[in-house]
Amino acid sequence: MNEILKGDQKQTQIELPEDSIKIDDLRRKEALERLYDLVDDLIEEIYASGEPVIELPSRSNSNIIWDEKSDLLLLGKQIQKKQFHSLTSVADITRLMRVMEIINELLKKDIHATKREIFYTDVKLFKDQKNSDKSIEDVSTMLYTTRNSTHVVASARGSCVGRLRIRDRNDIIDLEGLGSGGWGISPMLDDIEIIESDAEFILVVEKDAAMMRLAESRFWKQYPCIILTSQGVGNVAVRMFLKRLRNELKLPVFSLVDSDPYGHYIHSVYMRGSKRLSYESPFLATPDIKLLGVLTRDLDKYNVPDDCRIPMTKRDIKRTEELLREKYVKNNPEWEKDLKLALKYKKKAEIQALSSHGFEFLTEKYLPEKLTTGDWI
Amino acid sequence: MRIFHKKDGSIVQLIDKDKMIEWPVELPLIFIEYIRNNKLESYNDKKVEKEISEYLDEILEEVAIPRLIEVLEGEDNEEIIDALKRIEKIANENLDMTRPIKPYLEDLMNNKNNEIKDLADNILGLFRKEERRKELNKKRKVMKEKEDLFLESKISAEDYAEARKEYLTFRDKR
Repeated sequence: MNEILKGDQKQTQIELPEDSIKIDDLRRKEALERLYDLVDDLIEEIYASGEPVIELPSRSNSNIIWDEKSDLLLLGKQIQKKQFHSLTSVADITRLMRVMEIINELLKKDIHATKREIFYTDVKLFKDQKNSDKSIEDVSTMLYTTRNSTHVVASARGSCVGRLRIRDRNDIIDLEGLGSGGWGISPMLDDIEIIESDAEFILVVEKDAAMMRLAESRFWKQYPCIILTSQGVGNVAVRMFLKRLRNELKLPVFSLVDSDPYGHYIHSVYMRGSKRLSYESPFLATPDIKLLGVLTRDLDKYNVPDDCRIPMTKRDIKRTEELLREKYVKNNPEWEKDLKLALKYKKKAEIQALSSHGFEFLTEKYLPEKLTTGDWI
Repeated sequence: MRIFHKKDGSIVQLIDKDKMIEWPVELPLIFIEYIRNNKLESYNDKKVEKEISEYLDEILEEVAIPRLIEVLEGEDNEEIIDALKRIEKIANENLDMTRPIKPYLEDLMNNKNNEIKDLADNILGLFRKEERRKELNKKRKVMKEKEDLFLESKISAEDYAEARKEYLTFRDKR
């Protein structure tokens, strides 16, 4: 497998294009300094003009660019202005200031909070979590930093098992010895350090059920690997942890998702980031992740029975067509071909469909064969 | 990461020792012990086992011990107490790992802080216990030889009784 991958791995260091904004991953003190600088500027503007304006990179669709070279979705340089003295933005500005105040508290106390917790600090003001979430992302972009650097973290949703040992503050955790549930990926990644691994690849799985199957068979014993899942689209903690694993261990990364447009979308989010968090893509994306399966072509190759193939809905077809219009898919002929095949068959299948050949088929036949023959996109 | 290549083409990666400089003071020792006790044999490769063992010695000499000494020689009593508590825990599990800091523990016996003195004495007590055990083993061996000689009538009853008395006195002395 390593032979097949040789020369196929992209540079770990990402060079950003000139028309995208640069985001930094900051230590606590640096983030606090940046926050204070921002507030100082605002105070000066209040004294000078009495009508301060906040400027921050726009996160609208028109400002999201796909950089072909790094293969990432990034945030462009368009700037959005928020006026303090405008009736339309007064609620928005108040929420923004409140979130800045909360972030200041988190950083000063060196503690972390989830987006949900922040919403509950002032329900009257935020009214809906969408509003507090938006303000949290606004503050991160205003500070030109990642959300994790502001100590606002994603709730723990992902898990990881396999040939990996980590340090979580003062504890050494062996990810081979935690049962089938594995280690819940901590959103407080600044406390986590990779200390030892004898893995040879990393496998990201979409479904918890597939993760359980792999954990139960202790797949990593025979095929030295680290397995992660986020139960759907990778959240920030999982993507950040995956990126860290990839960068530090320099191992090939594969994804195992359902054979449907949503599965392909999940793979693309790991690969190049999401539009919503495009400003953080350089810290979240793993550009050289390979789509191991389940590919549409696998359905025939592995004789997935017809009754395990589900007809695509109109929505699935629309999503597949949308994916086919994406530049990053057009630039990958094999990926394009597989999606076109899905449109031709108008059928999709879940990873679990492979169980039609027996529960061990995934771990004893499908994955070993795909990995050893280099059958991925 | 520090990479070690196995004969079968696979690899083992261990964190670079430079990164441990910012770790809590006792953690490098815990790491060394963890890898030695839980991982080394599982690599199934004598060459890699040897290389990693040497790397762990490097960590011990260059990071773990100097960091502990730095804390023990410092003036922050709270930090010293914290370090001593952790050293005591490690010493209870593997005394050899803490042997290089024994002279610094002896120095701490002159510290004015009673808690520091007590903790240092507890750890030194483990060394004393170990030395006594070694000495007792040695004396037990000598006693066995004397017994054999006595049974073969190669030494007198007086000599045997003298040796037995010496052994029992040492054994029962606390």
